[in-house]
Amino acid sequence: MKNRIEQLRTDRGIRQEELARELGVSRQTISSLENGRYNPSIGLAHKVAVFFGLTIEDVFIFEEE
Amino acid sequence: MYNNKRLALSIFWVVLGLVLFALSMAKILDSSYFSGMGVALAVVGTLQIIRNLRYRKDKDYKEKIDIEVTDERNRFIRLQSWAWTGYIVVFIEAAGSIAAAVLGQETVRQVLSYSVCLIVCVYWITWLVLSRKY
Repeated sequence: MKNRIEQLRTDRGIRQEELARELGVSRQTISSLENGRYNPSIGLAHKVAVFFGLTIEDVFIFEEE
Repeated sequence: MYNNKRLALSIFWVVLGLVLFALSMAKILDSSYFSGMGVALAVVGTLQIIRNLRYRKDKDYKEKIDIEVTDERNRFIRLQSWAWTGYIVVFIEAAGSIAAAVLGQETVRQVLSYSVCLIVCVYWITWLVLSRKY
């Protein structure tokens, strides 16, 4: 699943470590999310969306496989 | 993560390890197996105690360990690793069983075949339990 996490994060001048700390996950998780290698749980997706003040659909782009 | 229960368990491992080592040195337990196991238990217990105490004192270390344990990607990787391990073990044992049959190693073939059957049975049971749970 594609997402806009990297763009949203860099727009706000936040480092991966800072975002990871805010979301209570490891920096590697943020990296994997940004690269699209790992799809988050609905709970983490919600946390990410809330952190950026957006909805899940605004952050994550669902594509039918 | 590192609570009092874990600390008590670590201390128990150290004491048990030292007792086994001492009994082995005093020739009460007549096997190098027990002295080796004793040393191993004492070392592992000591390392756990050190990590436990560091976890309590070092705030950054505590945060790092908590994230490592609770991080959902780490959990996912752990589950995937166990699943892959299961598949690989079944395939290796099944292949070994066939090879043992070809080579006429009846005992090895039986042990490996039963092991594959056991794993498959455990899989069915866990599938039934989990399908009722979720």
